[in-house]
Parts: sequence; structure tokens; C-alpha cells
Amino acid sequence: MGGLATAVVALALTLTPGASPGSTNTVTAVSPGSRPGLVVFRTALLTAAPFWLFLLLLHDLPTTIAIGLRVTTMVASFVWVVGALPPPRLVEAMVAAGWSASVAYVFAATLAAAPVLRARARRIADAQRCRGLSARGGLAHRLRALWALALPLILSSLHEVDERALALETRRLVPGARRTSLSPPPDRGAERLARWGLVAACAAALGWRLR
Amino acid sequence: MTAALRLDGVSFSYGVVQVLADVSLVLAPGERVALLGRNGAGKSTLVRLVTGLARPAAGTVWVGDWDTRDHSPDVLARRVGSVFQHADQQLFARTLEDDVAFGPRALGFERSDVAGRVARALDALELGAQAREHPYDLPPALRKLAALAGALALEPALLVLDEPTAGLDRALRARVTRALLERAGRAGAGGGGAALLVITHDLTFAAELLDRALVLDRGRLACDESLAGLLGAAARLETLGLLRPPVAELSTALDLPGRPIRAADAARVLARVAGGRADP
Amino acid sequence: MTRLILERVTFRYPATEAPALEDVSLEVKGGEVVALVGSVGAGASTLLLVAGDLAPRVVGGRLEGRVSFDGDGPRAIVLPTPWTQLSGMAFTVWDEVAFGPANLGLPRDEISRQVDQAVVRLDLEALTSRDPTTLSGGELQRVIVAGILAMRPALLLLDEPTAELDPVGARTLWKLVRTLAGEGTAIVVATSELDALPAITDRVVWLERGRVAATGPAALLASDALVVANMGTTVAAVWRAAGLPAPYPLTVAHAAQRWERR
Repeated sequence: MGGLATAVVALALTLTPGASPGSTNTVTAVSPGSRPGLVVFRTALLTAAPFWLFLLLLHDLPTTIAIGLRVTTMVASFVWVVGALPPPRLVEAMVAAGWSASVAYVFAATLAAAPVLRARARRIADAQRCRGLSARGGLAHRLRALWALALPLILSSLHEVDERALALETRRLVPGARRTSLSPPPDRGAERLARWGLVAACAAALGWRLR
Repeated sequence: MTAALRLDGVSFSYGVVQVLADVSLVLAPGERVALLGRNGAGKSTLVRLVTGLARPAAGTVWVGDWDTRDHSPDVLARRVGSVFQHADQQLFARTLEDDVAFGPRALGFERSDVAGRVARALDALELGAQAREHPYDLPPALRKLAALAGALALEPALLVLDEPTAGLDRALRARVTRALLERAGRAGAGGGGAALLVITHDLTFAAELLDRALVLDRGRLACDESLAGLLGAAARLETLGLLRPPVAELSTALDLPGRPIRAADAARVLARVAGGRADP
Repeated sequence: MTRLILERVTFRYPATEAPALEDVSLEVKGGEVVALVGSVGAGASTLLLVAGDLAPRVVGGRLEGRVSFDGDGPRAIVLPTPWTQLSGMAFTVWDEVAFGPANLGLPRDEISRQVDQAVVRLDLEALTSRDPTTLSGGELQRVIVAGILAMRPALLLLDEPTAELDPVGARTLWKLVRTLAGEGTAIVVATSELDALPAITDRVVWLERGRVAATGPAALLASDALVVANMGTTVAAVWRAAGLPAPYPLTVAHAAQRWERR
């Protein structure tokens, strides 16, 4: 029952369109024009769908629903964070909160990599098609085609890591640097209170479960 | 003779933004053409249309006697070889020659035919010594050449190249020039060599290789004239973000007859004129 | 006073035996523009990494000899491919340019001033609120240069800074290099745009297989040795190819003068 309740709360949350206060341009991962909440919901459901399938194969229906909702909740909250959180603002917030800039970068770079990789994947696919790569044909052929798309994506990305490291170094993203926060996101008292409240709720839930 | 490329009243839009408007042009086999224009003038879109990656909203793009609407890019690759910016990102085989062979193999040519095409492409770009190296062990400039070799190995009737000399030093640019001149000059099945359509802002390279200029301006074909003529018009060049390259500037400054734009031609004319003056 | 000194520097990349630089000595003072010329793989990029304290500190490898740097500002390098140099942490061009100065921990109003100045110098005013990942190669290159300038480097190292620029953009950048030198910045630039060099450089260093093959004023680009090696200016090369006697003119203007006097 508890699982069901949290799931409902989390799914309701994903359906609310806005993100953090004071930022209108934050929902970058979500295409403009569509309802961002819906997109997050759909992505989360699609990601969680295989789990549901396997759960159903392994368990009876009530257990499937109980565990499945929890999995969906976890996935949905993660998708929601990725969709709603602009990496640069995460860095600003972490720096303002006293984290080192390079630790913040690790988080931000991971989130920011997706659109860049997607653009690169599209370029590579275009280039290989213009070299005669066709996605039609049997399974073996399709696998080979996938190889010709995935491998250059990985190789070329890895190859750029060295140069990226040099570029960050020359712009002084170095361990221990005291970065100036350019426009720290507002952190209101109520938000801080809510955060601590959530931490307390987690602790309480844990205590209740282990009782 | 069928044209290597023909655009009949081609238009294209991304959403509501019109990128190309009513563009018509013809490239004969073996013709060597520069495609110029500022950022956002529609050059890259035109390349996407020619390679079949995009379809015209109106009008028709003909590659030989194929309407690009009827063929996917991997089929058009039999007639169009292309090199895009960031071409080095497409490499993935264990050796350079294997990567160059990727295109001909994908198009289903016989094994011996593939080997011949690869050898000729590597030869043209003088990459024979690196044939067995891993592409990522090569410096970036040579990876760029490797991608060009991949396009040459298709031995297409039309080569479409986007900034093929970016990041190359002068010696490598000269290599690219020689290789492409050879491909354009070679007699092929269509009666002529490969037609070249080259996006570049390297006008020194353009002058050595190409002899006709197409200029796109906000999606329209603003001019279609001889490259030498365009290079003579400094003011017009500057509005395109271009400057007269040194040889053309020298020809004008010294008032060399015929206003040569290629270094070898300028040297020949200079020698003749200087000799004439010394010995009237 | 800004001063970079390399004394008999030999450098090898990790897991290589052949040196990428061999016995290279170089001194650059504030206000000087030194150009490195040479073919691909001659060592110009490596020399910039060594001068910028990135090799061996970041890339690894072994360095013999001595490198010293003195200056009231950081040393910073602009690498050849702009898209690998984006921070990935900025939503707008303005924030991208501010990335370096913010990491230096400068006060916010000073960052603002320097970013605004760099933006004007690279002609980026119209782009400040754009997402940097949507820019063209040429625009991106200008953003990267602006991001480095906003850090107020005492030593500016440029590796093929015009590779993505159109010729008018390149001309603007070369003028800016001269302006920065006039303000006291020490500048080392590796470029294959040899025809741009006479107008901007105080000294030319010709590298061949990791060694300094020749060094001298810009006129070196019209010397027989460099012209034969295809490292001279176009005008000098045409002059020589025409069989006209040395000394060859360095620029079109020199050629015109020479032509008048005949």
C-alpha cells in the first residue's frame, strides 16, 4: 500500500509541467511545444515496460503490481530529474552549495553528454549511409550496419577525451579551484525546509520498514 | 551527354524557415565547381539534397538520370561520393585501407574490384605508407584525408565535398588538389571524369582546383560565373566573407595579362613579362 | 614583465621513443608575436602544449631541459578543434565565455567586464544568448577564443586559430592578435596561414621533425630555404617559380614596389 501511495505521488509529480522556480528555459531534454510532464511520463513508462514484463513472468499479479509500481516510480523520478534539470544550473547550485567545481562537472558532463552524442550519432549515420551503408537486409547485415554506426561513435568520442581534458585544464577547471558562482539559483528557506523534511521522511520510512 | 548533377527549381525549408528557394543549376561531367556563400546561405542543405539525405520540398534534384526522390542515400552513393565536415568521426575499421574499403564493399562490388578501388584512392592521396595503420593512430589531418579516400574509392560521377582542406597544411592541400584534378580529368564511363562540387572558404585551394563559382545568398543562387571572374571582384567577395587570395591579388597589383589565379600560371606569366621587359 | 623561456627542451610523449621536440630553445616576451611554422607533425602543437604547461603535466611524457614562465596572468591555449573545447557547462555563449574567468575565482563584476570586452572583440554581441552547441564552426571558434581572452592570459598560445574561420573572420582575428600584443600579451601562434604572418609576427620559428630548423624575422618566409620547403609566402613562391632572382618579395605590396622599380 505504501508503495502504491509513493508511486501515485511521484507519477503525479512527473505530470506537472514546470521545473525549478525562476527558470523557464530549463526543460531542455524535452521537445518544445509538447507537454513536458507527458513526455517524461511516456519515457518513464517505456523504460519501465520491460521490467513489468519480466515481473509478470516471475511473479503473480499482485506482486507484479507492487514491485512494478516501485520500479516505475524510480525510473520516473530519474527521467524527471534528467528532463527538468539543466546541467549548467546544477553546477551553479552545487558550486554555490560549496562543492568543488570539478566534482560538479562530473555530474553535469554526464547529463550534458546525451544531446551532443545524439548529434554526433546522426552525423555518423548520415556519413555512413552516403558511403553505401544500408539498414535493409537480414539480421546479420543489420548487426554489421549497427557496428558501423556504434563503433565510430565510441572511437571518435574516446579520441576527443584527451583534447577535452586539455581544454578544461587550460580554462582552469582544476581540482581545488574556487569557482565564482555566476548566478546562483535561489534557495529559499521553504525549499531548504522541504529538503530536510524529505530526508527526515526517508529516515522515518526506513525506520518503519526495519522495525 | 547527361549532366552529372542538375537542380530544377529546387526549394527546401526547415519548418517555416525557407533555406533554399528555386535553385536551378547544371554540372557537366568533369566540371569543377566551388559552392560559396556565408554561414546559413544554404550550402550544407544543398549538399544534403544532392546526397539524398534530404528531399526537396519543390523541384527536382537529378544525379545523372536519377531523381534523388526515388533513391535512398546508400543507393545514391554509387553516383555521389561525399565528405562532410567532421568526416574524421566516421572512421572505424582496424586499418586505414579497411576503412576506405567500407564504401565499395557496402555497395557490393567484387572483392578484386574493391581492392583496385582502394589502391587507387590511397594512391591518389599518397596514403600508401599509412594503409595498414589504425585510423586513430594518424594525426587529425591525415584522418581527414582518409575520409576523402573513402569517398574517392566509390569512384563516383560526382564528388561533393564540404571544406575538404580545413585543418590541412599546405602540402596536404596540394595533395588533395592533385588527387581531385586527376579524378576530374580522368575519362570515365559517362565520357568525362568526376564532377566536383566543393564548399570551401579556402580560395587559394579553390583557385588551384576549381574554375566555376556558384554563390548562394540567403537560399538563392546569387551568381554562377567563372571563379577567375569572381576573384577579380574584391568588393563582391568581401560581402561573402571572402578575401581575394594572394595570387589573384598579385596578378591585379602587377597588372599581369590574363589575371592568372593559379600560382603556376602566375609564375609563367610573370616570367614572360619580366623577360620581355628585360629584353625588349 | 611577461617572459617565457624554453631552454634546450626535448619532449617525448608517453610510450614513444622518438622525441616530438628535440633541443628546442625559445624566448618570448610580453608584447611579442612569435609564429611557429612547419608541416603536420613537425612539433608546433607539442611546443604549444609544453609552453602552456600542459605537457608533460597533463598529457604525460618526459621532458628534458628547462621551461620557465613569469607573468601577471595565466597562460592559456586555444586548441585546433573548437567543438572539443566547449565547457559543456554553459547554456549561453555569454556563460561559455565566462567559464574560464569564473574558474579563476574572479569577482563577479570583474568577470562581467572581461566577458563583455571579449565578446565585443570577437564580434559575438549578436550571439551572447545563443546555446553554444547550436553554433557553426566559425562562430564556435570565436567563442572559444573569447573564452580564453576573458581569462586575461599573459601568454596566449594559439594552435591553428583560423582553421574554422572564413577569410574575413580570419583577418579580424589576426588584427586582434596584433592588438593584444600591443597591450603587452606574449603570443605564440602555430598556423599554416603563412600569408597572414608578415602583417602580424615579430619572429618566425621554422620547425622540422621536432627541431628548430631556422628562426628569424617575418622576412624568413621569403628566404630560399623556406620557399623551397613550401613554407614561404605565396608571393615569394610565385616569384621564385618565375625564375626571378632572390631576394624574393614577402608580400603583394613588396612585389608591387619591386615591380615599379624595374
